[in-house]
Amino acid sequence: MKAKVITNFAAQFGLQVALNPELVMEKNGRFYLVNEGLKPLVRHDFFYAGVFLGKAKEGKFFPSFNLLSMLAKQGANRVVVDRKSAWLFICGRDVLTKSVLQILGSGKKNTNTLVLNEFGECLGFGRIVGRLNGEVQSDEIAVRNVSDVGDFLRRERY
Amino acid sequence: MSGKEFFLNRYQQLGWKYRDVKLRQAIRINTSNVKGKNLVGRLETLGVHLQKIPFLITGYWVADSKVSAGATAEYLLGLYSIQEAAAQISASLFSDLKNKKVLDATAAPGGKTTQMADLMQNTGAIVALDVDKRRLNALSNHLERCHVSNTVVYLLDARQAHNLNVKFDRVLLDAPCSGNFASDKDWFKNRTLKDIERNAALQNELLKKTSECLSDEGELVYSTCSLEPEENELNMDWAIKNLDFEIQEVNCIGDNGLTNVFGKQLDPSVARCKRLWPDQTQGFFVCKLKKGSK
Repeated sequence: MKAKVITNFAAQFGLQVALNPELVMEKNGRFYLVNEGLKPLVRHDFFYAGVFLGKAKEGKFFPSFNLLSMLAKQGANRVVVDRKSAWLFICGRDVLTKSVLQILGSGKKNTNTLVLNEFGECLGFGRIVGRLNGEVQSDEIAVRNVSDVGDFLRRERY
Repeated sequence: MSGKEFFLNRYQQLGWKYRDVKLRQAIRINTSNVKGKNLVGRLETLGVHLQKIPFLITGYWVADSKVSAGATAEYLLGLYSIQEAAAQISASLFSDLKNKKVLDATAAPGGKTTQMADLMQNTGAIVALDVDKRRLNALSNHLERCHVSNTVVYLLDARQAHNLNVKFDRVLLDAPCSGNFASDKDWFKNRTLKDIERNAALQNELLKKTSECLSDEGELVYSTCSLEPEENELNMDWAIKNLDFEIQEVNCIGDNGLTNVFGKQLDPSVARCKRLWPDQTQGFFVCKLKKGSK
C-alpha cells in the first residue's frame, strides 16, 4: 500500500518502478525509502529516514526532489531546458516552448514531465500544457510549473 | 564575571591577544553529487569566485560573488553546502567512515551530518539526534537537498542515546557551546562565566553518555566553537581521566591544546587537541578521542 502511492506517482511519468514494500516507511503521511543496512536502526519514533520520497496530504501526493531525481535517472518523461529557462523554472516560472532543448519520453499534452537543466539535473516537474517543440518564437507556455527545487528556499522563509 | 574586558583578559592569560576578525563565507563541495572541478567552473560562470581553503580537501572560500551563494541552482541541487571553514574540520578527522555506524549526537542543522554522509559516500549508517524540532526540520531539508540516503533522524536528547541500544563505531559530538565573538557580534555583551560553566557541565554529561554508545576502539570527535577552556581542554582532561579515552594526534590547523589553564596543570596529551583562535576562521576547538577496550 505504502509503495503503491509511489509507484502510482511514477506511472504519471510513464514509468513502472518496483519498490520493495518492506523498505518503504511511512510516518505522519511522509514516505521514506531505507536500505537494508539502515532499516534495523529505524524505530517507530523516527523523524526522518533514508531517502525522503514525498508526503500525502488530503488524498494528494507531493513528491520530494529525491524521488523526482530517482525517476529522472530511471527514464521518466522529461524535458531538457536552456540555461535561462532553468533559472526561471526554479524561481517558480513556467517553461516556454522556445526554451525546450530536448524531449525525452512521450511529451504528450496534459501529462506530467520532469524538467532537467543542461547538465541533466532534475529541477522539478510540471504539466505539459502546450507544444514542446516547433518553430515557436512567441512566449507560448509549454510546461506549467508544479514543483521546483526553489522550494528549499521558500521553506526557509516560512 | 562578564564583559569584553573580563574575557579578553582571560584570553591574554591563555596566550592570545585579541584582534578583530572578519569571517569569510565558505562552502563545502558535496563530492557524492558533483566533481569538484566541474562545480568550481560552473560557479565561476555565475560570478561566484572561489578560493581553495588550503587546510580542507573540499572546502572553498567565497572570494567574491555577484549572487548569493545560498540561492544558486547548484546549491539547491545539493552540489555544495555553505559551511564555515573551521566547522568543516571535525568530521574530516575520523580515520575512516565508509561502511561505519556513526552517531551524530547533536546534529541540527546538519552541516556536519551531510558532510559525514558525503565522506561515507552514503554507505554505512548515521543516526542523527537533536532536541529541537524546528532545527530538525532544517536538518531534514539539508538531507533531502544533499540527496543523503544513509541517515535516520530522531528527536532525542543525546543523553538518552543509550536507549537506542546501538554501539557505534564513530561518534561526532559537536557539542552545544557558548560560541565565540567572531561569529556573534553581541557575544561579549551576552555571555557570563556562569553560562560557560553551565555549558561545560552539559558537555561533560554528553561526553559521558555518548561514550557509553561507542564501541571498543571506536573514535569520538569532540568539537565546540567556544574559546573557553572549561568547555574544551578541561572537558578533554576529564574525559581521558574518567572515560577510558585517549587523545589521538590529528593533522589539522590550529594551536596545540592548552595544558596549563589558569594555573591548573592538565594531562600532557591534551596538547594533541587543536585550538583555533579567531583568524582565518571563527574560534574553534577539536579533539579526537579513541576508546580503549576495558
